[in-house]
Amino acid sequence: MSELAAVLPGVLEKAGWSVPGGLVPVLAMFICASIVAAAMGLSAAVLVWAERKLAGHFQCRLGPVYVGGKFGWLQSIADGIKLLLKEDIIPADADRPLFRLAPYLVVLGVFLAFIAFPVSEKLMVADLNIGIFFILAVLTLEVFGVILAGWASNNKWALLGAMRAAAQMVSYEIPMGLAILPVVVEAQSLSLKSIVAAQSGGMLRWYVFQPPFFMGVSFLIFFLAGLASLKRAPFDLPEAESELTAGFHTEYSGMRFSFFFMAEYAGMILVSGLAAALYLGGWHGILPGQSGAMWFLLKTAFLVFVMIWLRWTLPRLRIDQVVYVGWKVLTPFVLACVLGQALMAYK
Amino acid sequence: MTAVRTYFSDVFMGLWTALVGMSITLRYLFSKPVTEMYPDVKPRTPTRYRGIHVFEEEKCIGCYVCAKACPVDCIEIGVVRKGKEIKITKFDIDYQKCMFCDLCCEPCPAHCIHMGPEFEKASFTRKGTILQFATPKTLTEEEKKVEKVARK
Ligand code: SF4
Ligand code: SF4
Repeated sequence: MSELAAVLPGVLEKAGWSVPGGLVPVLAMFICASIVAAAMGLSAAVLVWAERKLAGHFQCRLGPVYVGGKFGWLQSIADGIKLLLKEDIIPADADRPLFRLAPYLVVLGVFLAFIAFPVSEKLMVADLNIGIFFILAVLTLEVFGVILAGWASNNKWALLGAMRAAAQMVSYEIPMGLAILPVVVEAQSLSLKSIVAAQSGGMLRWYVFQPPFFMGVSFLIFFLAGLASLKRAPFDLPEAESELTAGFHTEYSGMRFSFFFMAEYAGMILVSGLAAALYLGGWHGILPGQSGAMWFLLKTAFLVFVMIWLRWTLPRLRIDQVVYVGWKVLTPFVLACVLGQALMAYK
Repeated sequence: MTAVRTYFSDVFMGLWTALVGMSITLRYLFSKPVTEMYPDVKPRTPTRYRGIHVFEEEKCIGCYVCAKACPVDCIEIGVVRKGKEIKITKFDIDYQKCMFCDLCCEPCPAHCIHMGPEFEKASFTRKGTILQFATPKTLTEEEKKVEKVARK
């Protein structure tokens, strides 16, 4: 963003617009925010299509084939238009202000997190020096949104879903946060830019492949905990269709529903991107010297693919199993990883 | 000690079984989809498929055997006989009742009624499901008198 703010006055002058100097940073912020919002919406649209298509093929079906030619390219646009045109229903007994607030909170959390999203060396909105910490912190906002949605709907399914979401997201925040620590210890920084920069020089320098694989294990844990905090299968209890209708967003319709939907898909990209940046070398290529946004996007896309793959492979867990895995498996393992990495750094 | 061992083997098995499952779904991802593009591409019905009947009017001798054989009485036949000349004036099958059992085709002495491959005969009205197989004919007054309509 700072680079954009630096070049913006020149561009504006060429275009023949005069903008007071004080407004330039504001304008740069605005542009960045619009780009992030557009990217979020677009990637969600692409992902919805990809997920439906892949889900089909995983089950020997074809997925969407009609809308927009052979591969159903326009399926998610059609879905989007449908969602826009749907009636916006607020139940009579719902808590109106909270009910309206909830979807925005959910989107806001993911949206804010994209600020520190490191697509490439140049292509990030802001290189915060506490980038990864910031992302984890704002992602927790999403839990508030979900709980509010469940509570304000005044619906037993929604409330049950929200309570499950709370139990699950709170218990998985811990392994997720701890899984980042080995990387932070190794890179000696919380800034995503310097964490990625520390992994330059080919595939073997990526943190996953560093023996003795403390970071490799924590990559797995981060990915699983990320899945759980995104409420994706096999951890999709908060919206378990077969038990809870649609879980915490049972009462939502139209655009408000699509906000939850968008947040989920944007969250998938976010978690995959973070995992790619933290453990898989971010924008660095497989061979030494290769780098670019392309690599980052490829790795992110691959991890998103794995998420979709997992969703169409595994059945949903029970709530006690989810909590068991969170507290009794992921947390001790990640603690061991943190301890091991810290001891290695100490010597 | 066993508890510790079970714990670690459970963790390992959890990961391993997930990987096995993923390898299976990956194999399916690259296998050929079984989807039939039904309204666009009509499926080939198997030989001996029991669909809508095929009726060969010119062979039919109007013997009512098929109508008698039908367990649900859904065939209605009208015949006009004049010496050796046989006119099939009506051959209706009510597909609301028909259960595609093939029992009408077996006894036909002239082998003129068969089960066909067709299956798309849904209709919005009850009348629409009664298919008329005989070509419509205008009958003279005299013929109308001798016309015999039988449903079993
Ligand atoms: S198929 Fe069976 S039910 Fe249908 S007309 Fe023939 S005998 Fe009757
Ligand atoms: S059994 Fe055969 S020949 Fe006799 S009426 Fe039926 S279709 Fe015609």
